[in-house]
Amino acid sequence: MAEVEETHSIEFELNGERRATVVPGRELLVHFIRDDLGLKGTHIGCDTGNCGACTVRVDGQLVKSCMMLAAQLDGCAVETIEAGPAEELREAFNAEHAVQCGYCTPGMLASAAFLLERNPNPSSDEIRRALKGNICRCTGYENIVRAIERVANGKATAGGAL
Amino acid sequence: MLVANPGSRPLAGGQSLLNVLKHRAAEVEAVIDISRLEELRGIDAEGGRLEIGAACSYDRIGASDAVAAAHPKIAAVADGLVDQQVRCRGTIGGNACFNDPGSNYPPLLVALEATMRVVGPGGDREVAADQFFQDTYRVDLGPGELLRSIVIPAADGTAVGYSSLQAEDSWALARAVARVRCNGTIAEPRIVVGCVSGAQPRATAVEQALDGAEPSAEAIAAAAEQADEGLETASDAHASAGYRRKMARVMVARAVTEATERARRGDG
Repeated sequence: MAEVEETHSIEFELNGERRATVVPGRELLVHFIRDDLGLKGTHIGCDTGNCGACTVRVDGQLVKSCMMLAAQLDGCAVETIEAGPAEELREAFNAEHAVQCGYCTPGMLASAAFLLERNPNPSSDEIRRALKGNICRCTGYENIVRAIERVANGKATAGGAL
Repeated sequence: MLVANPGSRPLAGGQSLLNVLKHRAAEVEAVIDISRLEELRGIDAEGGRLEIGAACSYDRIGASDAVAAAHPKIAAVADGLVDQQVRCRGTIGGNACFNDPGSNYPPLLVALEATMRVVGPGGDREVAADQFFQDTYRVDLGPGELLRSIVIPAADGTAVGYSSLQAEDSWALARAVARVRCNGTIAEPRIVVGCVSGAQPRATAVEQALDGAEPSAEAIAAAAEQADEGLETASDAHASAGYRRKMARVMVARAVTEATERARRGDG
């Protein structure tokens, strides 16, 4: 059977804004976000669900966007790094030099914000566990953990919207 | 839809199926998204018995007080799976139906005597977990059939041990799950050896040796020596067949030890 490129109409919320469009059935969410929506802050590291660079929030859940189809976004709300500010986390990443090449940073911030929403005062071990799905190949993680600890220790509530 | 589209597959969390599709490792005519069907996502607990919807995420299972109270190992396995992103998307039914030899839930479901509730064109039916898991990547689901939920009977005083040989982020090389009753002596042991085959084989020789035995380290170690009886392990890049057999014995000993200790403490 010849491959038929099926398309799907989807309605969704992008960083708080209603959107409607048509997507190919086989398109991954990460490609949709980067190529169709033009939001390049969501990175592609591996395309196989291992590195976490493409991590976004879908209906509040933490999702590797290379492991979800764009068509599955229908009726959902997606938040990407462009939704900003997660200001405190960003400042803490700066202050602790938690960014070197920056490729993993959007995914790290997403996972960190998710953790702090659930657990405003995580231990160092809990932070490491929460970052398990995010690979950094520059910093060795120490400064990233320290940045999240800085936010956790500095305040009682979570890191704000991603 | 599954019936009307031969060659289609249900897509739940997609944490395995999407990679299978990316690698073109399977031919699929269509995927049918079941991940947001509320009737597949519930957790019902009644008198220690659990019914978990097939599309219930690991995250939901791991956070459920009802699951932790009724079957703490079901919750602990969910809570420890891979990473937070996978736990948000991945589902217990997907884990079961994929049935990789290294999948976490199949051996646990067999040990706990779970029942798989299936819906399909021929009506609803129920299959015992040890019949459901047929072989590697093969389960007892016919064309158009869908796993609806998994029913786990009340622990009723039994306790579970779960032991894996696993470097942090890799697939486990060896695994065993043991469920025992232990009031002075071991009774009703059910021991499953994981990471060998999707048939989720029981270590029946060990079960027989332990039924009625003292839960001593010596008795458990001696019985576990038979854990690889009848097992066919394979060599691959990660481990030799012989190493896998040896580790199956070690995992069985550890799982039984943990189960007897949990039984003694009343931990379930």
